[in-house]
Amino acid sequence: MGFIPGKRGDNMFLGLDVGGTFTDGVVVADGKIVSMVKAPTTNENLLRCILTVVDKMVEDIGSKAFERIVLSTTIVTNAIVEGKIDQVALCIMPGPGMNIADILPVEPYILSGYIDHRGREMAQPSKEEVLSACRHFASCDVFVVSGKFAVRNPNFESAVADWIQEKVSPMHISRGGKVSGTLNFLRRTNSAYYNAAVWRRFNAFATAVEEALTIRGVYSPVFVLKADGGTLPLSVARNCPIEAIFTGPAASTIGVMGMNGDAAVSGISLDIGGTTTDIALWQKGRPALAKEGAAVAGHRTGVQGFRLKSAGIGGDSLVFWENHVLKVGPMRHGPAMAAGGPKPTVTDAMVAAGFIDFGDRALAVKAMKQLALQGQSPEEMASQVVDKAVNDICQAIADLLDEQAAEPLYHVEEIVYERKFVLETIIGVGGGAAGLVPLIAKKLGISYTLPENGKVANAFGAAVARPTIAITLRADTAEGYYTVPELGIKNRLPRGNSSLQNMYELAEKHLAELAQRNSIFAGETQIVQSEEFNMVRGFTSVGKIMTCRLQIKPGVLQYGEEELC
Amino acid sequence: MLNAQKLGLVFFPAFDWAISPTHPEREERLLYTRDQIVEEGLLDMPSIREYKPKIANLQDIERVHVGVPDIFSLITNAHLVSAGGAIAAADAVIKKEVQRAFALVRPPGHHAMRIVHGTRGFCTINMEAIMIEYLRKTYGIGKVAIVDTDVHHGDGTQDIFYHDPDTLFISFHQDGRTLYPGTGFTNEMGSPNALGTTVNIPLPPGTGDCGLHEVLDHLIMPILGEFKPEIIINSAGQDNHFSDPLANMAITAQGYARLADTLKADIAVLEGGYSIEDALPYVNVGIVLAMAGMDYSRVIEPNIVDCPSQASSVTHYIKEIIKERQDMWGRKEKLKREAIMKHGEFWQTERSIYYDDEGINEQQKERIRLCSHCSGYVTIETKARSSLHYKTAYIGMIPQKACPACLKAAYNEVHTAKKKGEYQHYMVQNKQEDRLERL
Repeated sequence: MGFIPGKRGDNMFLGLDVGGTFTDGVVVADGKIVSMVKAPTTNENLLRCILTVVDKMVEDIGSKAFERIVLSTTIVTNAIVEGKIDQVALCIMPGPGMNIADILPVEPYILSGYIDHRGREMAQPSKEEVLSACRHFASCDVFVVSGKFAVRNPNFESAVADWIQEKVSPMHISRGGKVSGTLNFLRRTNSAYYNAAVWRRFNAFATAVEEALTIRGVYSPVFVLKADGGTLPLSVARNCPIEAIFTGPAASTIGVMGMNGDAAVSGISLDIGGTTTDIALWQKGRPALAKEGAAVAGHRTGVQGFRLKSAGIGGDSLVFWENHVLKVGPMRHGPAMAAGGPKPTVTDAMVAAGFIDFGDRALAVKAMKQLALQGQSPEEMASQVVDKAVNDICQAIADLLDEQAAEPLYHVEEIVYERKFVLETIIGVGGGAAGLVPLIAKKLGISYTLPENGKVANAFGAAVARPTIAITLRADTAEGYYTVPELGIKNRLPRGNSSLQNMYELAEKHLAELAQRNSIFAGETQIVQSEEFNMVRGFTSVGKIMTCRLQIKPGVLQYGEEELC
Repeated sequence: MLNAQKLGLVFFPAFDWAISPTHPEREERLLYTRDQIVEEGLLDMPSIREYKPKIANLQDIERVHVGVPDIFSLITNAHLVSAGGAIAAADAVIKKEVQRAFALVRPPGHHAMRIVHGTRGFCTINMEAIMIEYLRKTYGIGKVAIVDTDVHHGDGTQDIFYHDPDTLFISFHQDGRTLYPGTGFTNEMGSPNALGTTVNIPLPPGTGDCGLHEVLDHLIMPILGEFKPEIIINSAGQDNHFSDPLANMAITAQGYARLADTLKADIAVLEGGYSIEDALPYVNVGIVLAMAGMDYSRVIEPNIVDCPSQASSVTHYIKEIIKERQDMWGRKEKLKREAIMKHGEFWQTERSIYYDDEGINEQQKERIRLCSHCSGYVTIETKARSSLHYKTAYIGMIPQKACPACLKAAYNEVHTAKKKGEYQHYMVQNKQEDRLERL
């Protein structure tokens, strides 16, 4: 995707986060927010609220010349949750192992053909079987081909996809190994299934967005946010819509990164909204990634997201007594009484206790009076509620730290010399942050920051998130091959010595190739995982197995210094 | 807990530990197993929960072992984590977080005996024994059964529990006349006070799934049923596999998975298994699925055609062994009475133990008091010689339920030996006080 010359130059980035209730939009110019717009999310037709926000921002700043527009939307998640998905012809090559037929989202067609853990072809797929699968799925327009260990050798998946293409030419074929390049056949199959299931709907949405913007004379390239906080050009996302699930928390987390500035901070960020608090863990300025893939409708996918914990407490959380025990949340019965709501909330307690100035203080005090036990003053009640909310959030933080500490490690050194995570600071964003974050920080005995405009961290994050992409390169020098599943290639290793350093260089080359293919600027890259094993057969060393996963570093665009495409 | 998950899995492949770069116990050993487990998506299954190993401490280890001159100088951090992995698995089961657990950990341990001079049969400390004594100390567990399904005789575990009537040790293995360590014959049944609680089942080379399950169904399961242990431990070696380079048996992944399914061990701990590409990925997936109560019928090795079928002579031999062992188990009380009568107050034995990894020859003289009030105190005189060292020690061992007379006598013996001064080190392993004393 190219730019129209002469339209750029104002260095304006538009970010849009479609949430469950509200859609936030911001325009960022030279790192500063120059426009902020909020509109109710129109879940029945997401395009409407997106365009409403874009129109308001264009009007607000009097320009259409955005460097780019980034969408963090619920389009894919909604389609799956509401069942607005296509029937998928799911063809799998599971080989020997666990019986996954019953745990996939739909019943698969099982094909023979098996690649083993080394990427060796142990049993060939059969064209006859593939043709009968095509007949079996005669009513399907979208296909999935997923094979066990296809990330170690893409040949079978690509052969089967070719046969399907030749026989029925479906609208789309998703391949497990291309959708996700890492080990986990089950997650790849789930990813590829949902990818194919939402493919048509997402493409219709993408077309509608592009057309609507063109009609308005907005020619900026459109990107979508991914769950790992990176962005992809819409044209590329058309083939991997599954990457657009669970982008809300990613938007907020990248937003925090952009607003915080201080790169090397270790601690937590709290996004305190109306009913929930999203907690993310930060190590030296990088949010920790989740080990599990994001789950959709109860099925784990290969989509990688941040390690987050959500606590059911926010500003609007209902406060009530249950069997003489004070409870806070997780339900919401409208806004705070101070803002005209019906029932006492955490915000009312914050106002009544004097921690924040919001709405009608007299109504907040009244709320606490309603809640107070005999002989308890509204102020005492308020501070009891605040303590309870702070304690509950601190408990969720402790749980998240425990989860992080319980993560299995596979090296002796990692376990014996494990570095415990040290909380240094809290970064608070979201509507409820101003009141609660200072109290939480005090209880934990650490510092805090409340970035300006923290309420729109999500849209800000979308605006400034860097385009990213990742590849996995695995070399088996005994076999003499290396594979890059994301590119669907299995190539002979170059002659000469094969060291891990050589593999990094090879991965760099292929990452640049994929970036170019996806119209992404390959800036700073980072190795996110690498391992090297000597292979010994008998008592002789026969080669090495080396794996490295390389990605364009996700994060915040350096304004004016980075190209997008 | 009502919704306890089925299986706790402590996976610790020790990717940075090897005995030496080309040793079977090297970094690569569980690489393909890791790949298979992750690729299958086993760790995403709701019935399986992965646990991180703990780090065992000195007290955990010295509850079982006496290192000469001390245990820490003989082991690496990897041993502490592997033992800690077994302990983490046990904790998860006893706390009822999971129904059963599999410690898929290395280094292995079933050749490690009470007295440790170095590494033998790839083992330095005994993970299962450390775990069992931890369970007894922490949770007051009494009767324990260990079923050792490694192809090699679990001579270390046998040594540790040889005098303990509360620990049933059953080992089937390739006949010691044809394989390391050369022990594990039917007449090794435990010392007189614990006679019958050591059950060795040597099997002929070429034993296949049918022979193994014959032994399991007609010998091991009935014995377990009679012994009524509070907890069953599986020393889950995987080198009976037809592709294993160090042995000559013919068991498949299906055979191993069915074994796990039948045995229903509370805790399994990995031991050997060196067919790292052709067996381990499939055997481990089979065991994990079986222990998690899932369908394992599709776990079939790609090279299953290479598995030899069991010869009829082998089938016949196995039937004989089963009959012989059934008979011995039936007569164990009588044999026990006879042995106690025959030996009087003390039972003693002398043997040499070879540490293949380091070329150490140990001469051990062991004596146990056949006490009528407790399982009796033990004294061990050990002299170990290698090209580098000559190490000797005199050790007294006091069982947890020792009677006052045995307690006193054990200390007296060690003090007397120290006065004579023939040894370099004098130690008392006092299980009642849970400590190892240096005198």
